Amino acid sequence: MVRDVKRRVALIGLAAGAGVLATGSSVLAQAGRYKEAASVTELVRAGKLPAIEARLPENPLVVPVVERVGEYGGIWRRAFLGPADSNNYIRVVYDSLFRFSPDGAKIEPKIAAGAESSADYKVWTINLRKGSRWSDGAPFTADDILFWYTDVLLNKELTPTLPGWIRNADGSAAKVEKASETAVRFTYLAPATLFLTAVANQDGADRTFAMFLPAHYLKKFHPAHAAKADIDKVAAAAGFKTWTELFANRNAPPENPERPTMAAWAPISRASDPIFTLRRNPYYVGVDTAGNQLPYIDEVRFTFFADVQALNLAAIAGNFDMQERHINMTNYPVLKDQEKTGKYRIITWPTFGGADAVIAINQTYAADPVMGKVMATKDFRVALSFAINRDQIKESVFLGLGEARQGVPAPWHPYFPGAEWAQKYTEFKRDEANKLLDGIGLTKKDAQGFRLLSNGKPATIEISVVPAFGAWPDVALLVGKDWEAVGIKTIVQIRERALHFKMGENNELMAEVWNEDTSAFPYTGNAKVDPRNAPILTMGPLWRRWYATSGKDGVEPPPEMKRIVEIVDKARTVGPEEQIKLSQELYRNWADNVYEIGTIGLTPMVQGVVVAAAKFRNVPTTLGNDWPLRSPGNARTEQFFFSK
Amino acid sequence: MTRYIAQRLLILPLLMVIYSFVIFLIIQAPPGDFLTAYVATLASSGSSISADQIAALRHQYGLDQPFLVQYFLWMQNLLHGDFGLSLEYQRPNADLISEQLGLTLALALFSFVLTWAIAVPAGIYSATHPRSLIDHVLTVINYVGVATPNFMLALILMWLAFAYFDINVSGLFSPEFVDAPWSFARVGDLLFHIWLPGLVLGIAGTARLSRIMRANLLDELNKPYVVTARAKGMREWRLVLRYPVRLAFNPLVSTIGWYLPALFSGSLIVATVMNLPNIGPLLLRALINQDMYLAGGILLIYSFLTIVGTLLSDVLLALLDPRIRVES
Repeated sequence: MVRDVKRRVALIGLAAGAGVLATGSSVLAQAGRYKEAASVTELVRAGKLPAIEARLPENPLVVPVVERVGEYGGIWRRAFLGPADSNNYIRVVYDSLFRFSPDGAKIEPKIAAGAESSADYKVWTINLRKGSRWSDGAPFTADDILFWYTDVLLNKELTPTLPGWIRNADGSAAKVEKASETAVRFTYLAPATLFLTAVANQDGADRTFAMFLPAHYLKKFHPAHAAKADIDKVAAAAGFKTWTELFANRNAPPENPERPTMAAWAPISRASDPIFTLRRNPYYVGVDTAGNQLPYIDEVRFTFFADVQALNLAAIAGNFDMQERHINMTNYPVLKDQEKTGKYRIITWPTFGGADAVIAINQTYAADPVMGKVMATKDFRVALSFAINRDQIKESVFLGLGEARQGVPAPWHPYFPGAEWAQKYTEFKRDEANKLLDGIGLTKKDAQGFRLLSNGKPATIEISVVPAFGAWPDVALLVGKDWEAVGIKTIVQIRERALHFKMGENNELMAEVWNEDTSAFPYTGNAKVDPRNAPILTMGPLWRRWYATSGKDGVEPPPEMKRIVEIVDKARTVGPEEQIKLSQELYRNWADNVYEIGTIGLTPMVQGVVVAAAKFRNVPTTLGNDWPLRSPGNARTEQFFFSK
Repeated sequence: MTRYIAQRLLILPLLMVIYSFVIFLIIQAPPGDFLTAYVATLASSGSSISADQIAALRHQYGLDQPFLVQYFLWMQNLLHGDFGLSLEYQRPNADLISEQLGLTLALALFSFVLTWAIAVPAGIYSATHPRSLIDHVLTVINYVGVATPNFMLALILMWLAFAYFDINVSGLFSPEFVDAPWSFARVGDLLFHIWLPGLVLGIAGTARLSRIMRANLLDELNKPYVVTARAKGMREWRLVLRYPVRLAFNPLVSTIGWYLPALFSGSLIVATVMNLPNIGPLLLRALINQDMYLAGGILLIYSFLTIVGTLLSDVLLALLDPRIRVES
């Protein structure tokens, strides 16, 4: 199912390299032939909106369409799980300067017109579209980025710790200057080859401040621009204790419809309302290939569901026009069956590499030092990997979708280390597993056939599992059965997720089932291969402490793991060619050491089962699906439409 | 009596302080805090957050403070009538609770009235016509009603409505009315949707109430004063309603105070399953997400209503039955 995107893609992001990224069609602009929705024309006639030429920038973003040029109108019905699910909104609008392309292979300009870097990647200039406007009609300029930099990023109260992407190695912030009304220059001390990859994720997700903010609106809530006493009064009246709470709330579009945005749709109600509604932004910078201003769809309505099962039932009933988020893959057969009624079609977007259920083995488990030492032995992990019957897991848990693999990038990604590494140790070889276990001295067995440790106790491993994406407990049970067959006693413990995370943080988990996503992004965000990151898989909590305390506390990682960390640090500063080489080395190392044992990958498990109404069009049938890609945002949602 | 009520009211603030501490202790008991739950939520929907940012948020929300400090800050705000800010919603808890209050009360009153309107006549009929065909039918329905968990009933009814009538009965409004301003059409839409949750919420109560009513009334009906009244030629329905029914009401009235917190809470599981916009799901989510000030606020109001409700029951009982008096 993923074969059709198998082609090797140009390198993520830094394909832009020292060149210029720019789209936009001046031909259209000269012709002056932009078209708009009838409802917008009415507002223009009534004098409530300026004409389309005055609303669009000089060089609008031209958005390619998936099937055909669409028609205006309609309400896109979706579902969400309330305010904590605001990433649902974030992913639909993907309100950023740059965004990932649908296949996840490139980074393309969105709100911004383009970017260029110096030959050494230390200086980056982002060019904005001249004449672009916020959803309230105010001009969007370099000052909106400078406001973020000066008054938000460098304000200790609003930003206590600098995010990694804007931080130099010495802890200082990269320099940001206004080059012109429509250009902003970023200067780093070291080469920042992954600059655009980071910029493509600056969209206010996860309660952060995006790198461009509506200065004209937010200044009245910031003490550098307004009287502190007045702000405090507003804060107190709204029930906030400090100005920073007020500022964060006023800046969050899902909680404040007044806050202008640059996205194709802007909220007109709040995420804490029973229905969270977005309405077309008449100032959106994008047009289709025929010059029709986007978006096609008038409104997006997120209906609140308190319960995921109720949401899935409504999806099966066909109550949504397009929904992939929270659709449980275990409902895939039912959905396929209902597809026959013609109400909707089912599209699958497999995960963007990695594996959809891995068993991470804690390499620094301290509660039982004897077992901990065994778990930190490579042959033990290899034996456990060989012992797993992945065909059975694939058929019974993943409905026959996907393939057996370790947690490395997908075959079409430049970081892919090669099939022999993706499939390393994934064959079902019980004899080989037994031989390896004998080889590390676990030869004595008790009456039940469990191998005995040097202290005479049976070798026992506990898999902690959270039913986060459906059927992980089943994966754990099948794996447990396979491990017991080679003499390793396995306890499967299903836990409430907050408890599971807390135990992971405290180094109390022996092993856990989770997924290995973001494998295409080992150097940005919160990559799972980097043991310094948290909160991630429970691979080595004490390694993290070792790095955090510069070696004073915790456990020193083995040379292989140190090499991974070295690669992560180095790859951030080298050119594209070398970065690919380093990444492949990283994943060869990763697959070979099986700190986490991959089972099945490339399935639509994570938000990848799409239920789209029959008349809801321009939804791509293949899509890079991952959190950094903000899928379905990278499907260019503004060109979705309802056919009449 | 007045003295008794005054005593009970005086003890109220003390009880509330004890309750608030216990509530806070219990809410804080699960491992981790709001941010642990938040991280888990993000990870379970395929996104992530960096450790730096978690640390910053933890500091911003004051979750890095010791338990007692957090408790005293909470109490201090409560004494000023401030329920604090919801960690999840980033909005004042008082707003969140009051927004849900109207529909919660409407739904609860509806199911309360439905319960009593069905249960009392059914109980009286069963008692006055024991072992008749209708009594047996009602008995069976009652036992099934008591024995079936109401969320199960909700699921079955929702499935039947979807499978055979192709209607989705979750929620209290049709999509077009959810955020519409109040109008006759919207009230009509509410009435169309409220009967099913009202019935589901009321059915177990109905069953229990009518069984109690039947049993009490049967006891009373054989007492000499009834026989005497009947012998004196009193009209049967008048006799039953005026004397034995009044007595049979006692146990029911003594539990009426329990309805007060129940009215406010909405049934948590049913409301979640049926996607009802009332306080039940709000509390459940607050507890799961460890949004402790929101959960604490709601639980504190529950406790208050429970205390007041019990007091109310006692007073009502004394008014209804002159035999009940305060022992001095």
